[in-house]
Amino acid sequence: MKIWGMVLGGFPRSRYARYALRDRERGVIPFKDDVEAIDRASVQVIGAQLVAGLPVVVDGMIDWHDIFRPFVDAWRNVTVDGLLRYFDNNFFYRIPVFTGEPDPREYVTPRRVLRFKETADPATLKVVLPGPVSFAFMSKNNSGLSNEELAEKIAYILRDEAKKAIEAGASLVQVDEPFLADIDATKDHARLAAELADKIVEGIEDKAVVTVYFNVPEPSVFEELLNTKARYVMVDVVDAPGRAEKLIRGTGFGSHTPVIGAVDARRIIDDKPSFVEKFLKMVDSGVDEAVVTTSTWLDLIPFRYALRKVYVLGRIVEELAEKNGYEAYTIWR
Amino acid sequence: MAGYEVPRKFPTTVVGSYPKIPPAMELIKKRRSGELSEEEFRKLIKGPISEAVKDQIEAGIDIISDGEQSREDMVVYFAERVQGYRPGDWVRIFDNVYFRKPIIIGELKWTREMIVEDWIYATSISMGRPVKGIITGPYTMMEWSFDLKYGDRRELIIELAKIIRREIDELVARGARYIQVDEPALSTRPWREEAELLKEALDVIFKGLDAKRIVHICYGRLEKIIPYILDYPVDQFDLELKNSNFRLLPYLKEYGYDKELGYGVVDVHSLQIETVEEIKGYIDMLMKMDFIGPEKVYVDPDCGLKRLPRSVAKAKMRNLAEAAKLAREEW
Repeated sequence: MKIWGMVLGGFPRSRYARYALRDRERGVIPFKDDVEAIDRASVQVIGAQLVAGLPVVVDGMIDWHDIFRPFVDAWRNVTVDGLLRYFDNNFFYRIPVFTGEPDPREYVTPRRVLRFKETADPATLKVVLPGPVSFAFMSKNNSGLSNEELAEKIAYILRDEAKKAIEAGASLVQVDEPFLADIDATKDHARLAAELADKIVEGIEDKAVVTVYFNVPEPSVFEELLNTKARYVMVDVVDAPGRAEKLIRGTGFGSHTPVIGAVDARRIIDDKPSFVEKFLKMVDSGVDEAVVTTSTWLDLIPFRYALRKVYVLGRIVEELAEKNGYEAYTIWR
Repeated sequence: MAGYEVPRKFPTTVVGSYPKIPPAMELIKKRRSGELSEEEFRKLIKGPISEAVKDQIEAGIDIISDGEQSREDMVVYFAERVQGYRPGDWVRIFDNVYFRKPIIIGELKWTREMIVEDWIYATSISMGRPVKGIITGPYTMMEWSFDLKYGDRRELIIELAKIIRREIDELVARGARYIQVDEPALSTRPWREEAELLKEALDVIFKGLDAKRIVHICYGRLEKIIPYILDYPVDQFDLELKNSNFRLLPYLKEYGYDKELGYGVVDVHSLQIETVEEIKGYIDMLMKMDFIGPEKVYVDPDCGLKRLPRSVAKAKMRNLAEAAKLAREEW
């Protein structure tokens, strides 16, 4: 079995990026200084991923306030309202408010790919998109559309976004549906998420990953999600390892390449290879490829610990490959 | 409390925090940088505490707080004073706003009083009104810290509970009659096993305690967590209701809720000041549901008022107190 590692999503901000964003909000530095600080932090996190040997990297989305915001800023007929807790984190996102059918003024991810793809070489870049079900159901919907219709409209915009990101040079498109791990998520949500993920990644299914994190989804929800045509499906096994084990042993990943969120992105303690190994062994007899990733984005821990987690992830992939006779796919091999 | 009689029906109270009154933030920063000693800080912070207490009394609140003027943050404040913690790095809360999520690196130990002095001072100027002793709960301390020491959540939460109990014992020995443990993190993980974990800790905190035992929970999925917490060893749950449009009330009725209720009737996330009529309407709505009597209802804001401008916070309290007064005449 071939195994490789990747970071699931965004990184925290470095001190300089934090200060630069603050100073720009206060109007004491010009826009270009802010961009420069963000770029420096992005290069730093890409560098950390390269040093860890990861073949697919993210630019860190350092300037994203939350997963929805850059898209809210880039689309017409949607704005933001007050703060709402982001799942079980001590982190809050601004609630998107849809006042009509979303209409893109510009695309968010392609220009990021163009900006950072040379920095990432010899690795390739992944872009991360908010899943349309999470986006619609975690927003205030004053659009006159049903939530399902709104999710579909969002999916059509994200389809163009994904296509243009791939054209710009991205190697992987990730669609995040954390809402499916929520206590209120149903099979219907999962069915819709799978259908809409397929719309987004139509024609690039082999370069697509759908993710669920912050909790283990109900088996019935996960089963529905497995109907997606995306090649990769990710599940967070850190938050509730017992339930994750039950899900993987009971439901499995179907025909998808499993992406195991086994490196704890919400705690700063170094992860044990044995924990990751346990989950890899659950899937290694049925597949020829598996991906090890962080349990969620790394932006919920401090910057230096996020960099440390990347190093740990790379080491674990190398160590487990060597120990178990897996083929490690890294930029070094 | 001598000199002040808390109304038998619909007493009014606060959840605890109040907007920082200058120079509170400056004093907190100076204490952290070492420019002020803890003793100097304690002396100087009495100014803002006295202003917060004055506002509550003027607004007509019956059971008040010290306004938590000493506390930059509900977790960091305690982490800075419990042995075994070290300051953390910056972790984002929203947008470009951060808090220093503390790190547990050693065995946790109570070494000194943390909130007692502020409570004593607030009580000395409260004109007889009772002052709540308010402390962040063990579940929230655990969830909003990084743990590099214990690795076992049960062991950690019980250790935190012992420290909190020690502090509460100090408060009760000084005469505190209302003890509130804040657990905003609980509703973010509304599963039975999490609720049971906190129950074990609350047993440590409240067992045999001779004071009113209150737990404050807010936001998140309160309706999911309610069935698992009804047997907690507490006298009162203080709950956020206004922000979630009172959707919790039918659940409370359905579950046969029989404890006292801290009834959150003003939204602390909104600058809009609820009118007396609106708040009175919320109280009427609760009474008409006919599952709790007016003696068991403590009228208060959804949560701490710290994020509001002082004028808005005070106006909300004033209207809340006025509405409770009207309700007393009717119910």
